[in-house]
Amino acid sequence: MRALLAALALGLAAPAHAQLDFGRILDLGKKAVEVGQKVQEATKEYTVEEEIALGEGITTGFLGAIRLHPDERLQRYVNRVGRWLASQTERADLPWTFGVIDTEIINAFAMPGGTVVVSHGLVKRLGSESELAGVLAHEIAHVLKKHQLSAIQSDAGWSAAATGAKAVAADQIARRGGGDVMGIKTQLANAGVDLVKDGLFLRPLDRSMEYEADRLGVVVAARGGYDPYGFVAVLTMLAQVKPEETGVSITFSTHPSPADRLAELEKVMPELEKYAGQPQVEGRFRQTVR
Amino acid sequence: MIAAMTARLLLPLLLALLSLAGDALAQEPASTNRATDLKERPAMDARTLAPLPAEAPVKVLARQGGWTQVEAGAQRGWVRAFHLKFQSTVETSSGGGVGSGITSIFGFGSREAPKTSKVATLGIRGLTPEDFKNASPDPAALRKMQSYRADKASAERFAREAKLAPVRVAYVGSGS
Repeated sequence: MRALLAALALGLAAPAHAQLDFGRILDLGKKAVEVGQKVQEATKEYTVEEEIALGEGITTGFLGAIRLHPDERLQRYVNRVGRWLASQTERADLPWTFGVIDTEIINAFAMPGGTVVVSHGLVKRLGSESELAGVLAHEIAHVLKKHQLSAIQSDAGWSAAATGAKAVAADQIARRGGGDVMGIKTQLANAGVDLVKDGLFLRPLDRSMEYEADRLGVVVAARGGYDPYGFVAVLTMLAQVKPEETGVSITFSTHPSPADRLAELEKVMPELEKYAGQPQVEGRFRQTVR
Repeated sequence: MIAAMTARLLLPLLLALLSLAGDALAQEPASTNRATDLKERPAMDARTLAPLPAEAPVKVLARQGGWTQVEAGAQRGWVRAFHLKFQSTVETSSGGGVGSGITSIFGFGSREAPKTSKVATLGIRGLTPEDFKNASPDPAALRKMQSYRADKASAERFAREAKLAPVRVAYVGSGS
């Protein structure tokens, strides 16, 4: 069903190429079934190491499609803001990695295991570090709640690829009779690449996950000492962006609109009102972002 | 010495100019979504310049935290960002861009978008589904990205430089 819908959607954008390559994915999925129920059950849950390996695979595939922005100063700046925010959370010990991608689209992405990517098109429209913090904190919240892993596991094809990869590795290890953590990691990294090819980034998360990340994100920003309303300002900006400015031509989305997200956030922001006077940090933001 | 002093004097001015000139939102039309107050400054305790009725047309000039600077009639002041709507653009746009995908972000979904459809896709200039499908994995780019990581200690120093002090705040709202 999903494949059909995806093909349909692709058809709208590019009729000539409306074919998805499920070959590798299905192959891995088939192997997963072959190695038996027990191994499959054992591989459903992800250890932190496995989550990180899968995320790195996904990032590797992602960066094959979109390159990093060449401004190293900007990259390091975004990493400091992001790392500071992540340090205020219950998953402070993940290998948090942040990156700015060289595209004028307006978006940000979170991968399992603590990798967060934000587009240059978005960063340059922000007005302060507190706004950047709002964006990064929203993405960090997705990682905290493992929303991406849930999305992967709730999709039959994706789940087969990822679980299959773990099962194949587990099976190999069992045959060899030794613990081969690297084997699992390699398989998961490969599966991550497959997930990107299979349109992982073309499907939105559930609305409820977005609202949850919004609610958690403003708290994480406040914990970091920022004005949590920075994120409200970002949503206000997004509500005003004209589609032709974003480079979006044909789009359909189940994403909540910025207006809907603002309405949801308004319900919880009174609890954070006392942090509204915290710094927005405009000076060094404007010196760094161009 | 003189150059340094000049720089110190000029920087705030430059920043002020940047914040005026750099704002691409200038003059965007919006309207109030409820009766609200036009404030002199972006703060709750600021003087009220004028009450604004619901559906009052305004022009957006700037944003600062939870406040938006607007021009309402002949007056210029600040209203709560939550009290504005931007009907002119949201209706026609949708789709967070490519990705809405794994994460998130910032979709511009229109209210009219079919809420039941599970798949969203798009053609984005310079970035299409084929770009992802055909991409060859770039482990060198991953390593480069990871080389920019900040460790906890350096991030803490960086925060302190901007007078950011960590505070204990509990998560808010349901499901958290």
